[in-house]
Amino acid sequence: MSNALRTTTVGSFAKPDYLQRARNRHSAGKVTAKELDGLTRQATKEVIEVQKELGLDVFVHGEMERGDMVGYFGENLPGMRPGELVRSYGNRYYHKPVIASEVRWDAPVTVDLWRYAQSLTDKPMKGMLTGPYTIVEWSFDEHYGSRREAVLAMARAIHHEAEALAKAGAKYIQVDEPAIHTRPGEDFDLAVEAMGVVVKGVSAEFHTHICYGDVPKIYPGMLRLPVTQIHLAFKNANFELLHLLEADPWDSKKELGLGVLDVHDHHVESVEEVKEGIKHALRLVPADRLWIEPDCGLKTRTPEEVRKKLRVMVAARDEVRRDLAL
Amino acid sequence: MQTTVVGSYPRVSNGPEGQRLRKAIAMWERQEISREDLRRVQVDVLHEVVAEQAAVGVDLVTDGNITWYDPLSHFAAKMDGLEVGALERYFDTNTYYRRPQRVGPVHWRGPMTVEDYSAAAAASAAPAKPVLTGPYTLAALSAEGASEELVMEFAEALMHEVKALAAAGAPHIQINEPALVLRTDLPRGYNHIAGLVLRGKGNAKTTLFTYFGGVGPMLDDLLMLPFDVLGLDLVQGASTLKALAVTDVEKGLAFGLVDARNTKLEDPKAVAKAVLAFKDRVPLDRSYLAPSNGLEFLPRARAREKLEVLVTAAKLVGEATT
Repeated sequence: MSNALRTTTVGSFAKPDYLQRARNRHSAGKVTAKELDGLTRQATKEVIEVQKELGLDVFVHGEMERGDMVGYFGENLPGMRPGELVRSYGNRYYHKPVIASEVRWDAPVTVDLWRYAQSLTDKPMKGMLTGPYTIVEWSFDEHYGSRREAVLAMARAIHHEAEALAKAGAKYIQVDEPAIHTRPGEDFDLAVEAMGVVVKGVSAEFHTHICYGDVPKIYPGMLRLPVTQIHLAFKNANFELLHLLEADPWDSKKELGLGVLDVHDHHVESVEEVKEGIKHALRLVPADRLWIEPDCGLKTRTPEEVRKKLRVMVAARDEVRRDLAL
Repeated sequence: MQTTVVGSYPRVSNGPEGQRLRKAIAMWERQEISREDLRRVQVDVLHEVVAEQAAVGVDLVTDGNITWYDPLSHFAAKMDGLEVGALERYFDTNTYYRRPQRVGPVHWRGPMTVEDYSAAAAASAAPAKPVLTGPYTLAALSAEGASEELVMEFAEALMHEVKALAAAGAPHIQINEPALVLRTDLPRGYNHIAGLVLRGKGNAKTTLFTYFGGVGPMLDDLLMLPFDVLGLDLVQGASTLKALAVTDVEKGLAFGLVDARNTKLEDPKAVAKAVLAFKDRVPLDRSYLAPSNGLEFLPRARAREKLEVLVTAAKLVGEATT
């Protein structure tokens, strides 16, 4: 695999209708856990097939088992309880969990499905975790009453999960922190400290994904995050954020994940506009440290839109490689 | 002491019936139902949330902002001179708004909230209060930021909206200015801006509500503005309590003492006690108990329980002061 402009995706894929129906029926007690697990694996396999067909470099398992990135941990970490629906924006809702008592980690949560997904391909499969700051920020804390205490307790739990993924063989582990810029002045340092707790002593390459929000307020501070790659949503604002890197150079040791597909827009990008974004980024980050990805998880788009958008992404990457002889 | 809400209310609840608006929007986006079909469901849910507030005993209800995509684009998309752009985090919440971008002079094009207000008023046993996002917040959260010129253009546009609401019979109109909490002083000329917004209010009472933080340093200036009631977030903005403790207030306050961002339920006695601490400094008979901000950050059932806390606490205050 050439290291120039590697491609991957951010985590979630759209769930096929049969799985969504089964999940609803499972909630209503009409589908057993075993039946649902079988369908989850079937859908995971399909996500792997799509990535094979598209020729991506690093795979994800698609998060077919997760309702959403925070609610899933709320359902599985001791000390948390699943929450009810609250709106995130537009017509999107999530089950906002509750931190009801001391958060613990008793056993692996994500490893089983990761292992299954990895068994279906020789390509590296990313382990997918949600970061401690984001889980706490997007939960109701009825227990700690102090964000610092809650975030550091959560970081210890997520650290155990990262360790379990690394032991299972995950070479890449992504720790999503889309909430990291919620209070940039007040507790960005806390989020950095928490990431340090998550990654400490774990032998894997860590990626983090940050999207939307006030990214300029945490740049270049975000370069202090102890991870190999930071991925940002660029296409959503037409690569405007690259200007930040023009003012303050990117860290010479870190990789940049370049979001080139707007996952909140039905419109499929043209190869040309994606190429333009990649070429702009290449003036700021060398090709072996620049990864090409969508802006965010793909579950917001239909399976057909996902295919079309990812095809454009890969075609644009291939053409840039050809144009620049990378 | 009366009770009110700040604006938004959860628009879905558990169970298939509770999800009908979400489903209708998804179907409308897929062009499976018409705009009229969607509107019918919106109004149905709007009626439901108005009835829910009134049934709990809230004295001054809102339409729940049921039809708003977000507090910025709901207005930006309906005014001339603006485009609706990229997704941005809404303050320090886990909700997002589409950032308005000025592309020409901003003008009022026509009523933006009157239809929903009228639907709420027609269905409600309690008086309904329309809510508008204020000129400073609209400008501050837009792409160009709060230039004096843009704030003024929004103020003029909102003046027409206030006039239209007053003409539709709104007894009380609220302007929400959460972005003021990001400052330590009032924006220059805000008194004039507020006067402009309220110019066509007729006999309607008015509230200015700030939330998502404290406003202690500008409390005196806020109290001088031409609103009948000043709404304060006293949970996330608990720092305001210190300034309030040494201020004699002549106008009514909306005490935002029930946490609208955490599911943990307050003890109504503690809420009542917090209000009663101000009984000698604030005219409680002209004041309200309220959540700290809009309730849609909570699950529906818990939002209702928070309203019950409000109503019980207000009764306790009433008992203690008569």
